[in-house]
Amino acid sequence: MSEVPLPLDESSLRIQELAYGLKVRDVMTRKIFAVTRQCTMREVQTIMKNNGLTGVPVVDEGHVVGMVSMHDIMNAFEHGHLQDGVAKHMSASVQTLSDEVPMTFAMSAFSRYSYRRFPVVDKKNKLVGMITPRNINMALIRELSRQLNEMEEHGGTSGQGGASTIYHRVYRLDRYDFEHGGDASAALKRELKQRNTSPKIMRRAAIASYELEINIVAHSHGGSFTHFIDGNRVRITANDFGPGIPDVDKAMSEGFSTANDWIRSQGFGAGMGLPNARRVSDEFEIQSGVEMGTMVKSIIYLTEEPQHENK
Amino acid sequence: MGGMNIKRLAEDLGATPLYVPAGWEHLEVDSVFASDLISDILVSEGEDQLLLTSLTSAQVVRTAALVGIVAVFLVYRRHAPPELVAAARDQEIPLFCSAITKFEACVRAGRLKDLP
Repeated sequence: MSEVPLPLDESSLRIQELAYGLKVRDVMTRKIFAVTRQCTMREVQTIMKNNGLTGVPVVDEGHVVGMVSMHDIMNAFEHGHLQDGVAKHMSASVQTLSDEVPMTFAMSAFSRYSYRRFPVVDKKNKLVGMITPRNINMALIRELSRQLNEMEEHGGTSGQGGASTIYHRVYRLDRYDFEHGGDASAALKRELKQRNTSPKIMRRAAIASYELEINIVAHSHGGSFTHFIDGNRVRITANDFGPGIPDVDKAMSEGFSTANDWIRSQGFGAGMGLPNARRVSDEFEIQSGVEMGTMVKSIIYLTEEPQHENK
Repeated sequence: MGGMNIKRLAEDLGATPLYVPAGWEHLEVDSVFASDLISDILVSEGEDQLLLTSLTSAQVVRTAALVGIVAVFLVYRRHAPPELVAAARDQEIPLFCSAITKFEACVRAGRLKDLP
């Protein structure tokens, strides 16, 4: 298994949803075998053999500066270079993943690159773990069984009607499908109305939902969209498969838009979407990786607290 | 300040109904919001508003419904695409169209608002 394809068909939406809830940090291996530039290829080969590894990162003061793969070892062996230092044979262009991004970004990365493992780095760009497709598979299985157990404990229902029951809907959204864009948000509003939610809160949830829903339709290659309501709050998550946002701070500022003329002709593209979604949310989180995707989470409390605007 | 009656507004603005739900004659609005940007509609703060717009995509009606707009008047338009009318029926939002310009529509609505 060298590849984890992104599951795109309808039946796998729930699985995707599991994947979106997990971060790279939650699924990576923390036990790291890393070497410094001073090590020889033979030493790396011994480490790989003894620990059943197929690749080892090379670090300098905690920062990843290269990777040595089984392939590099074989090449060095073939040419009698096993006594050389790793710096000479490692691949110096290394794709790392941030420990904060959703696990789905790692899945995208595995589909995109031919690498079979990625070093994971923290905010300071220091190596904190490694992630392989195996980590992802294990995490999915773990999460699946955890949720199954939870469902059994709750009597096997995911909720229908009633103000205190769980409402959980997952949608798949396609690029430029303005015909259906907004349907999910309309359904959310109907559900909240049925639960006798106060008009103010209902309006805020509907706006956050609609902005995020339209964002996927207008700006992404498509993605999934989820509503989750329990007794206390509405959680809206929007996940797409790219292209990702190069500068999230810029995207969060009012008036910044990358919308093309056609999107603008539909009345969108004033650069208010993300800022507006954040404004009406009680909690708001955004993660984006170029060519990997974007994850936005908005939470709106259902309790009648004074609204604090997130600026 | 009293509310403005939708039926009266429709008369004053020379608007013809494209879809109206039962009992629409009694609907009232507190103010009018005029915009051709969906993003603006989504950040509008008022409640019980009438939307004046020349946008004719179905998203207009959907957005209007989400933020609680009472009725939508298309201005400077003689026709509306069937998708838009269908969306209005779906959302049960009164939809009208009027051939006068947005400016003229605003002026007439403004006069109505000032009536005692």
